[in-house]
Amino acid sequence: MSPEPLASGRPPGQRRRLLLILLQVAIGLLVLGVVALLVSNLQVNLVRRGLELSFDWLGRPARFPLPRGLLSYRTDDSYAWAFVVGFVNSLQVVVMGLVLATVLGVIGGAASFSKNWLLRQLANLYVAVARNVPPLLHLLFWYVVVFLGMPAARNGVETLAGWLRLPISVEFMALLIGLTVYTGAYISEVVRGGINSVPRGQWEAARSLGFGEGRTLRLIILPQALRAILPGLNSQYINLAKNSTLAIAVGYSDIFSIANTTFTQTGRSIEAFALLVAGFLAVDLLISGAMNVLNRLVLRHG
Amino acid sequence: MAESPRSSPRSRQLLLRIRRGLFASPLDTLITVVLAVVCGGGLWNLFHWAFLQADWAVVLSNVRLYFNGNFPVSQIWRSWSWLGLLGALCILTLMPSRLLPPVVVRLLPLLWVLILPIGLLLLASGLGLEPVKSRFWGGLQLSLLLTLGTILMSLPLGILMALARRSSLPLLRWLTTGYIELMRGMPLIAVLFFGQLMIPLFLPEGWTLNRVLRAVLSLGFFMAAYMAEDVRGGLQSIPKTQLEAARSLGLSPLLTVALVELPQALRTALPALANQCVASMQNTSLLAYLGLIELLGISRSILANPDYLGRHLEVYIWLALLYWAVCILMTSLARRLERTLKVNGHH
Amino acid sequence: MPAQFFKKLAVVSPLLLLGLAGCATAPEEKVSLLEQVRSRGELRCGISGRLPGFSYLTTEGTYTGLDTDICRAVAAATLGNPDKVDYTQLTAAQRFTALSSGEIDLLSRNTTQTLSRDSGGGNGLTFAPVVFYDGQGVLVRKDSGVTTLEGLEGESFCVGGGTTTERNLNDVMQARGIPFEPVKFETPQEREQAYLDGRCAAITADRSSLNSSRSGFEAPDEHVILDEGLSKEPLAPATVDGDDQWADAVRWIVYGLMSAEEQGITQDNIDERVASATSGADQENAALRRFLGIEGDLGGKLGLPNDFVVQAVRAVGNYGEIYNRHLGPDTATFIPRGLNAIYTEGGLHYAPPFN
Repeated sequence: MSPEPLASGRPPGQRRRLLLILLQVAIGLLVLGVVALLVSNLQVNLVRRGLELSFDWLGRPARFPLPRGLLSYRTDDSYAWAFVVGFVNSLQVVVMGLVLATVLGVIGGAASFSKNWLLRQLANLYVAVARNVPPLLHLLFWYVVVFLGMPAARNGVETLAGWLRLPISVEFMALLIGLTVYTGAYISEVVRGGINSVPRGQWEAARSLGFGEGRTLRLIILPQALRAILPGLNSQYINLAKNSTLAIAVGYSDIFSIANTTFTQTGRSIEAFALLVAGFLAVDLLISGAMNVLNRLVLRHG
Repeated sequence: MAESPRSSPRSRQLLLRIRRGLFASPLDTLITVVLAVVCGGGLWNLFHWAFLQADWAVVLSNVRLYFNGNFPVSQIWRSWSWLGLLGALCILTLMPSRLLPPVVVRLLPLLWVLILPIGLLLLASGLGLEPVKSRFWGGLQLSLLLTLGTILMSLPLGILMALARRSSLPLLRWLTTGYIELMRGMPLIAVLFFGQLMIPLFLPEGWTLNRVLRAVLSLGFFMAAYMAEDVRGGLQSIPKTQLEAARSLGLSPLLTVALVELPQALRTALPALANQCVASMQNTSLLAYLGLIELLGISRSILANPDYLGRHLEVYIWLALLYWAVCILMTSLARRLERTLKVNGHH
Repeated sequence: MPAQFFKKLAVVSPLLLLGLAGCATAPEEKVSLLEQVRSRGELRCGISGRLPGFSYLTTEGTYTGLDTDICRAVAAATLGNPDKVDYTQLTAAQRFTALSSGEIDLLSRNTTQTLSRDSGGGNGLTFAPVVFYDGQGVLVRKDSGVTTLEGLEGESFCVGGGTTTERNLNDVMQARGIPFEPVKFETPQEREQAYLDGRCAAITADRSSLNSSRSGFEAPDEHVILDEGLSKEPLAPATVDGDDQWADAVRWIVYGLMSAEEQGITQDNIDERVASATSGADQENAALRRFLGIEGDLGGKLGLPNDFVVQAVRAVGNYGEIYNRHLGPDTATFIPRGLNAIYTEGGLHYAPPFN
């Protein structure tokens, strides 16, 4: 963060510097005071409930059943392992969601530039509808209406699971598709903005060179648009990761659902919450780190 | 496609346009045909279901619950009149300003700020009305209250944090940066979970916070981090020369922030801020999973009524329509505001 | 950044904090909840709000069900008006925090009484008498031919997440070495839908809830509840630990409803019975006179009006009437009374003497 231009311009007097230091001390004390107050309240409340902070319970058997996932889990495994299983389940849906939402978003964004009137209108309609309906409703729709309501869809998932040799459940698919459709609409907008940022002349130049519509887009426009698209993608990816916690609506055992179950069984809200936060920061860091690497690659080669 | 030689130039032109728009190449024709078949089939199924198979009683018999929640029937006019006021305000804002008396146009921003306090007065108590507990607020009305409350809380907080994040005091900068980054990395449901289940743990014994207020607080603290980033983006887009000009005019630093930087930053950040407002509206639906009876929550209570068991699709379609309409309305309000500001900016 | 600005901020922020603190209600002094309820003029009751037969929202926008009638009975007995109830919907995760933080006075949300919930080292609740004897059961399709848990080996079970049912299922299946696949749901509606749509071979939940689910199905006869139970689930209202006066009051109000059924006192004949005990045929019936608060000081000992049973029964009827209203044969959520009959009719509900 660059220093504030106003302050750096003026030669700071002794008094002013002292004032600034005092001000910071005051702010520090205020924040510390508030935190101390809250912590002391917390301690009183926890003692009153007989739930002093401790992570000992993590080693105890969790005893709640979980659906089959990537990692094997037995009900006499510990709470700690249950958290790991939840974390991996979250990662699974997030990673697959990222890929699918990107594909859908690029198709949607590119389609809004198509010369085909119907395709263009459909792309716009998709973005307008999907963005303005809460993600929770998306999930409920896919789960309750499509996957539970249509046996064909359910059989399809089972076939797919057998074919991929992955433990894919209907709940997983509902979450995955709901997140993909919702995030895809936002990514479409990002892609559209990126394509718009490429000067019009490039399209005309490509056309005059005899490139078709699809090839122009693929070979000339998208690579240039990528620079503008990547930062927007990063925040959409993090949004997708965060929205994956809506898994509780469709009964998929992600890390939030494990934290929630742990809390109802042990009453350990603070500890479960801390683990959840840590898990999430890890997911965010993974995504941001990967995007940074990608960004650097694009900047070097693009 | 056979073209009649006698067709008028106009219809010829139309045909040409259709041809260029839908059937320019064999691939295009294929795409068009496939899409048309898929859309047609989907629409047909939807209409078939909506008019022949669906039972809309679950929506039609409970309209009041969806809009006003279980607000006491004897007091329901208060709920309707607030929703009415809000609607009227939207219409006024969206009307072309030349059709309105200038006084009204000037008062509009103030009215928007006042609509929440007016709503609280009307719905809760005050004005000599019988008090109604916040637990009776529900449905769309509660969703809107939560949205407005969140926006009114997170916008000022976000502006303050955006300014603090560029402050020359390192401590302040670190604290706000830490807060913003942490909050933006958290899933909302976890923040709401904290707000509903853990805030009581941090209060002195015997103190309680109303759960609607707890919801607004958690939503507000969450959204403020996002608003702060958008405002910061706006602040960064201001050319340095402006600040130098302001200083050379002898404006104090505070006045420079208030009169030069913020107005421009907010104008630049407006589209992004508007998106955050729409997101706040959608976010309220998560509270259904924490026991609040906002629009989605009350729908789930209605679905528990033995008379309407299994009527999910009807309810979800109705909810999607409602949320969609409100979000579209919010977006167009923001566009309108953007246009107004742009016009004023050129003066 | 301008120093003046932060000077102002430094002044304003503590004020903001104070303002926030001001929004919180000031701590109430350590008086019994009974006193607090009475001075507030309203009972704050925590319910599910999403459970057919026990608590759900009617088209008129009021809550109804067995759980909510318990709240109404308590409000009638303590405040003389069954409508003075302030309902709060609570999720399974929220219910205990809501009680211990003082957000509600009474939890009437189909909560199973268990040791760890009752004890101070656990959730720190005090349970009122059981208002519904339930047990976890398993619902399957009749045409599946399944009659025992062993028949469900390797199958999917639809189960509510974060509840005791999830754990019980696991304990029983593990003990018997039967592998299975759990599918978790937050609400009963989704669980039912998933089962009906064939997502699971069985639903497991409290029998009451299975029963009401089944009666909501299009063809209830095509589904059966297995004879073997997975657990005992005594559902009881609860209050916070350490407030004996309030817990006693709630306990005896619930007993009053049961005792009224035993003595044949109903919502319809309560006024008659009071008249007859005051100056009619029952004038010499001291036990009845005490029960109805005409003689003695039973209500006063609890800190309640002497006619608290009369108030409660007049408002919601006796226990049997409440049961029949929400779970009786004429309702869509019919559950045979079974264990929930009064003890004279072979059930478990047994009120101690009102002496």
